[in-house]
Amino acid sequence: MRDPSWLIAFAIGLLLLALLPTWVDSYNLTVLRDALIFGLFAASLDFFWGRTGILCFGHSVFFGLGAYIMALVSMTPDIPLPSLLGLLAGITGAGLLAGAVGYFLFFGGVRGSYFTIVTLALSVIAQQVAVSWSSVTGGDTGLIGIPPLMFGGLDLSGDVASYFTVVALLATVLLGLWALSRGRWGRILTAISDNEMRAAALGHNAALRLTMTFVISASTAALAGALYVAMAGLVAPDLIGLLLATEVIVWVAVGGRGTLIGPVVGAVLVQRAQQEISSFNPSLWPLIIGCVFVLIVFLLPEGVLSIGTRIRALFRRGAA
Amino acid sequence: MSSSFLRAEKIGMRFGGLQVLSDIDLEIGERSLTAIIGPNGAGKSTFLNVLTGVLRPTEGVVAFRGQAIGGLPLHRIARLGIARKFQIPSIFSSLTVVENLQVARWGSARTEWPEDELLEMIGLRDRRSVQGAELAHGEKQWLEIGMAIASSPTLLLLDEPTAGMTPQETADTAALIHRLNKKLAVIAVEHDISFVRALGADTLVLHQGRFFRQGPFAEIEADEAVRDVYLGRR
Repeated sequence: MRDPSWLIAFAIGLLLLALLPTWVDSYNLTVLRDALIFGLFAASLDFFWGRTGILCFGHSVFFGLGAYIMALVSMTPDIPLPSLLGLLAGITGAGLLAGAVGYFLFFGGVRGSYFTIVTLALSVIAQQVAVSWSSVTGGDTGLIGIPPLMFGGLDLSGDVASYFTVVALLATVLLGLWALSRGRWGRILTAISDNEMRAAALGHNAALRLTMTFVISASTAALAGALYVAMAGLVAPDLIGLLLATEVIVWVAVGGRGTLIGPVVGAVLVQRAQQEISSFNPSLWPLIIGCVFVLIVFLLPEGVLSIGTRIRALFRRGAA
Repeated sequence: MSSSFLRAEKIGMRFGGLQVLSDIDLEIGERSLTAIIGPNGAGKSTFLNVLTGVLRPTEGVVAFRGQAIGGLPLHRIARLGIARKFQIPSIFSSLTVVENLQVARWGSARTEWPEDELLEMIGLRDRRSVQGAELAHGEKQWLEIGMAIASSPTLLLLDEPTAGMTPQETADTAALIHRLNKKLAVIAVEHDISFVRALGADTLVLHQGRFFRQGPFAEIEADEAVRDVYLGRR
């Protein structure tokens, strides 16, 4: 997406989100807040997948790790600033894991679908650990009673306060990732994804650059996970497993890979559809999400947001 | 091994049972101009891959400024000041012309060539915002040479730089190489004899993976044995 149109879309989106609390009730506001957290998670995957072309099928591992670490740290009695420490520990933990995974895979020459398969295995392992290590993770039932966000005397647990916290963090992170994507970092990544050997022959350490991008992406996913548990008050193995790893890929694919904003829109829309459909038949959802995924891959590989571009192209062709 | 600029000693390269290069020596100085010629299958591209450190020779050593470079990661070789233009134009097709040059520049610690001068030199000033994928074949070749220069190397290796170019473009390329040669050493692998003649460089002839002749191009061109090799009489 070109610079001005991205910034316009960003500004309009932010304005809408800022005005929304004036006419939306508090239940719907919290539903949207949670959807936006998953939107942040989708943007984190898009920063890696969209720029490098390498699909991570285990991004829920980093979301879940951030969530579990946040839960464990913020529930520790008598520590100062539990929310802040929890967030920082979650982000650092996920970053370290991503650094280790990235180091062994990227420096070992693993790319493309092989990377996807290894990360898929990672999400299965992580879910198994979350279920089996019950003394720490609470097993199948997970952990409940996680305290809401508090920074010193600043209480961000109210519906409106927590909503605006999420919107502010989402906007800041999106701007940061966008600035990275359009600048030197993003161009070198595009070059590496175009022709890695050529980039290396020009002096770029592709494996290091990919690993660092993966760490940034994973840390952002962990931020989303940590925020989510502080808002929801509970953490369970479904926040680290394969189903969430698949869903986030669908959100990015629906919204449009490589656009950063698109995946946030995708996450909100798909979750809204999930609620509507699940309300009359809960077992229908996995079938529908699968079909939607296949249709998007075949009909709209650039994502749902690309419909506008396609219609414009059709009109231009018609006018010519 | 003495610390000359680029030195290859007794290079041999074997792929399984196939001996592609045997016993080749080459030593060049700073700001030298060298052409490597030979018929198809003579081992020119393999030798270039050995010289750039992409392939570690099975026998012998390649040293750049006294440091053995065989088997070093590609990006470290590039940072030593060795740039390369591949045989098939390999540019970044999702990036524009000017972005391609930027990425090349960012890979190096040195920036000797201003962006505008580079664009002028490769004749793509008016095409600076065009995406790599939309360039014509000749323009891609020029852009790739521009990318190699943008990384401010001290040694530039060109693998068939004029492949697919018109006679005029070929002559322009030879002129560009002469201009660059004032600042850096160039090694060009080529089988277009008119281009090598225009270069007028010290020429190394390879034949069946072995050293065959080396000397000024005028002498090489007049050599009966070299002609026989090119005409397939040997």
